[in-house]
Amino acid sequence: MPGRFRTMKRVLLVLPLLNLMLSPLWANDSSTSGERDTLRATINKNSTHWSFKPVTKPDIPTLQTPSWARNAIDHFVLSKLESTGIRPSSEADKETLIRRLSLDLLGLLPAPAEVDSFLRDNRPDAYEKLVDSLLNSPHYGERWGRHWLDLARYADSNGFNIDAPRNMWKYRDWVIHALNQDMPFDRFVVEQIAGDMLPNASLDQIIATGFHRNTLLNQEGGIDKEQYRVEYVVDRVNTTGIVFLGLTLGCARCHSHKFDPVSQEEFYEFFAFFNSTEEPTLEIASDRELSIRNALRAQAVALEVELEAYKEVLKETQSDWESKLTGQLDSLEVPVQKALALDFGKRSEQQVSLILDAYTKQDPGFQQRSSNIAELKDKQPHFETSLVMKERNEPRETYVHIKGDFTRHGKTVLANVPAILHPLKKSQPSRLDMARWLVSRDNPLLARVTVNRFWQRFFGTGIVETENDFGTQGALPSHPELMDWLAVEFMDPTTYPQSVPWSVKTLHRLIVTSATYRQSSHVRPDIKPVDPYNRLLARQSRFRLDAEVIRDVTLTASGLLSRKIGGKSVFPPQPAGAMRIGQMKRPWDTSDGSDRYRRGMYTFFWRATPYPSLMVFDAPDSTLSCTQRNRSNTPLQALTLLNDRAFFELSRGLAERVLNSTFSSDSERIRYAFKRCLAREPANSELQPLLQFLKHQKQQLPQFPEELNALVPKSTDMDSARHVETAAWITLSRVMFNLDEFITRE
Amino acid sequence: MQLSDRLLLQQTRRHFFQQCGAGVGKIALGSLLFQDHLAAAELLPNPLAPKRPHFTPRVKNVIYLFMAGGPSQLDLFDYKPKLAELNDKPIPESFLKNKRFAFMDSFTKEPPKLLATRRKFAQHQQSGTWISDCLPHMSSIADDLAVIKTVATDNFNHAPAKVFVNTGSTRFGRPSMGAWINYGLGNESQNLPGFVVLQSGPRGPRGGAPNWASGMLPTSYQGVVFRNVGDPVLNLTSPEGISQDRQRASLDLLRNLNLQRLQSTGDAEIATRIASYEMAYRMQSSAPDLIDLSRETQHTLESYGAKPGKASFSNNCLLARRLVERGVRFVQLYHTDWDHHGGPGSDLEGALDQVTTEIDQPIAALIKDLKSRGLFDQTLIVWGGEFGRTPMGENRETIGRNHHIDSFTMWMAGAGIKAGQSIGNTDELGFSPEERPVHIHDIQATILHLMGLNHLQLSVRDQGLDVRLTGTSGTVIPELLA
Repeated sequence: MPGRFRTMKRVLLVLPLLNLMLSPLWANDSSTSGERDTLRATINKNSTHWSFKPVTKPDIPTLQTPSWARNAIDHFVLSKLESTGIRPSSEADKETLIRRLSLDLLGLLPAPAEVDSFLRDNRPDAYEKLVDSLLNSPHYGERWGRHWLDLARYADSNGFNIDAPRNMWKYRDWVIHALNQDMPFDRFVVEQIAGDMLPNASLDQIIATGFHRNTLLNQEGGIDKEQYRVEYVVDRVNTTGIVFLGLTLGCARCHSHKFDPVSQEEFYEFFAFFNSTEEPTLEIASDRELSIRNALRAQAVALEVELEAYKEVLKETQSDWESKLTGQLDSLEVPVQKALALDFGKRSEQQVSLILDAYTKQDPGFQQRSSNIAELKDKQPHFETSLVMKERNEPRETYVHIKGDFTRHGKTVLANVPAILHPLKKSQPSRLDMARWLVSRDNPLLARVTVNRFWQRFFGTGIVETENDFGTQGALPSHPELMDWLAVEFMDPTTYPQSVPWSVKTLHRLIVTSATYRQSSHVRPDIKPVDPYNRLLARQSRFRLDAEVIRDVTLTASGLLSRKIGGKSVFPPQPAGAMRIGQMKRPWDTSDGSDRYRRGMYTFFWRATPYPSLMVFDAPDSTLSCTQRNRSNTPLQALTLLNDRAFFELSRGLAERVLNSTFSSDSERIRYAFKRCLAREPANSELQPLLQFLKHQKQQLPQFPEELNALVPKSTDMDSARHVETAAWITLSRVMFNLDEFITRE
Repeated sequence: MQLSDRLLLQQTRRHFFQQCGAGVGKIALGSLLFQDHLAAAELLPNPLAPKRPHFTPRVKNVIYLFMAGGPSQLDLFDYKPKLAELNDKPIPESFLKNKRFAFMDSFTKEPPKLLATRRKFAQHQQSGTWISDCLPHMSSIADDLAVIKTVATDNFNHAPAKVFVNTGSTRFGRPSMGAWINYGLGNESQNLPGFVVLQSGPRGPRGGAPNWASGMLPTSYQGVVFRNVGDPVLNLTSPEGISQDRQRASLDLLRNLNLQRLQSTGDAEIATRIASYEMAYRMQSSAPDLIDLSRETQHTLESYGAKPGKASFSNNCLLARRLVERGVRFVQLYHTDWDHHGGPGSDLEGALDQVTTEIDQPIAALIKDLKSRGLFDQTLIVWGGEFGRTPMGENRETIGRNHHIDSFTMWMAGAGIKAGQSIGNTDELGFSPEERPVHIHDIQATILHLMGLNHLQLSVRDQGLDVRLTGTSGTVIPELLA
């Protein structure tokens, strides 16, 4: 049996080198598929990667100095620190903690009064009480919703060169709402993957399937539609792999995965789950509302048919009308007059219908009928829409695309999940079965991957640094036992008496109340050489805020923030010319009133011409699922915060807030502004240069009336002292908004 | 620098070097801020600091002239007398087998007919390079060009094809060539971004921002669009009422407070932030000067056909020279409206004349100007579109050609390459390469090579893959290397 011998030899040769291999043997065309299966089974059995192993709850380690620990998380972190001889950092001061918590949980700044009351609260559980109140804030769903929208590649337009607008905000609001309600994460996943297939699916559950309608849509002329349909399905497979499994299935599209045990055939088996969908636009209305509307629509259609018949009758008397027109031609439009001047046989088709229109328009019977129809049409309600998934009646056949080319059909395959993962025990599984398989307790990846992403948001880096690759090429977890303990705690919580399985808020509470989370983020010279990337967590991390949150904190500090949750996307001011880079020039009608001051996540996102200040601060471009944003630090960011009028106009907001406050001296006012922006008191070394700057501006501005009036247009209800004060405070507020600390979570 | 700043800075330096140990040795707090007082190469990580290439580069800058829409090589560079013979005859079916085209349905209803060029071709200068009468000025610099006639690409739709030429992938979201080069080499300019994009023509290029995006690389490397109207860079101008003095005073206060925070937190990011603000301030004064063409001599303006204050490809060519003069590494010019299918405004007659007239004189002027200033030796100029056009005409009211990806023409010029030659030959209909096929990935590999970068070494890890501009393929074109 030469075949088997070849296989055996390969297995023996290769196993020790598995991680070094560039290409797996089962991708070799010369080996038969039987050989391939044997080989894969052998390899799997011998080298199961940590993330594919079932999750079990490890014991909580005992500590030399248990007093530091506040919950189980700290036991895992501290035991590792103890083994390396590093002390954890001290707890951050309360000002830092309340600002950190507000930014991490809500993406907003705490108000000075909230800071003061937290500072005064000496109860032992003051911190926990603060955490609970933040978790209950409706803004929590916005902040964590935006994190989810990164994964979901949410945008308000179709992408590519045409980039037409689309209605997806109902899906965005569904996410916010689900998180605010603390919808158990397993349900959250199932509804987004296959909510449409749930028994008696509610409108909300169908809206949730917008998750996989966030793919781009190419409307360019001359494209091969099937090619792009396949692209969208591939994107759904890749996104599902990265978001829920932490695996890069995409590599297996063109060849068997080079590193992870996913074959090309398995890729297309998974592809089959998404291959038989329709892509409808859902009208968001109850059945009753729809049937009323449909009845009105049917009535209108019936009347239109009747109107056409009436027109035919009218035609018979048209020549009478024409002959009576002599002398009254002036009342008609010029083209009609011209047409009438021609002999009957010489009129073009267009002219014939022009005359008919003119004739029928003056007929009272026709007028009555037309207005009835118009009235009926007016009565028809218009419903909001959202893009959703729907299963086709006739499933499509799925086959392997040879080398990823959709025109080259390989073997036909049926929907199934990769063999390396837990089995899906059902014949002919549907998309819904796959969704339930994803959230099965047997899935070793979903809880680990999700917990790790939460961790990344709270500490800057995940326990597994490669948060989108839990495969064999990914990094190993820095704290493997902690990772598994958290994963099990997420699925079956034990820490709090009333918590339910898969509760996101419970897990967040657990993380943010740990001593590990509460540490100071100051860089420590003693640990820098040993642990330059802070993987041991002997301190918290200090990192720049996300693009949307930079806008949100500026809005909060200025006092202008609109706290409305959800609704249609809005158009805050943007620099002139921002819409010029796309092929299609898309509109940007700057919002007025409170919509001008909505949170950054509500800014209308055109994929081809994205809002410049979001992009400058590394917001994802929404082409593919984004699991981790860059945090760059560039001159264009400086120009944006200094000069973008969307930011600059908020300086006036802060200036007015300060001047209208109860404080009257410059130093009190600076303290107040400082607290609004940074949730702390300035040191004297900070206060003094601010005071000097303010004093200088107040002295100097009256000498430059043009600049003064440009900063604050003079109005009658403003005396000249207030005029100068306001302008000077605008310049100072602008400095506050540009501080590194202002756009940083410490 | 104020004394208090200097004290703070010294404390910070001491803090880093004495207390933090060697881990932060490579940080360089933007040479700008402390240029006079400290040697550079010190404090903080600056993503844009110049970096060592993989090997000695042949050129320092690239000017990439992107002809958006797909210029017709058969009416400009690839002379096919056989097409005149077979004009209006159906193309033999053997050519179309297994081929895919844009507008497939309309294109395959009846066998498409071959279309002869209506342009006059001639060989020019010593090299005898074939160029049509659409491009008289370029004909006068034929010996400076290396024309590649057999370039192939992967996608026949505008947006993905354009993104493919720029990023090496038809999927949106990958880093573009200019971003890769800045990632690999850093930025040489003290006052300007290292990758600048200029646009002309009736609209922006299809695909938009992904064409110059940084993808999974930090945004520091993305192309910055210099605009024709208003501020050359978004938000370059301070708000009304903020004079330069007030801006400076604000930045001084900011720097003071940021330095204090740097000292108390020890976070090196703050030093990068300070450097970014100083760079922004310098951009504010240098960019308006850069785009102010009125300081050019009348002779120069006339040679380009440039008019100060007017948006045009001519102005952009002149700006490109001013940008490379100032150390900007990668300048990309998009000129749109090359999509000549036939029909009103998009035929191979008047519409082609219009775009070729718009680009011909300024490109020749740019090359001559770079030469006279000694910049030609360090600059690579690349000309091409996202694909070419078919030897067959389209069934429309006026003459035009469909998108063609099997073989089209690009050219390079500049001291990094061997000029005065044509590389590759197409078959007698101009349909496929007959000799020396070249792929877009080879073009990309060659551009990186001339900049001193190896296309297979320059990579970034993302989602389990080493992402490269050329994937795992691409070969430097040896004939081009002087």
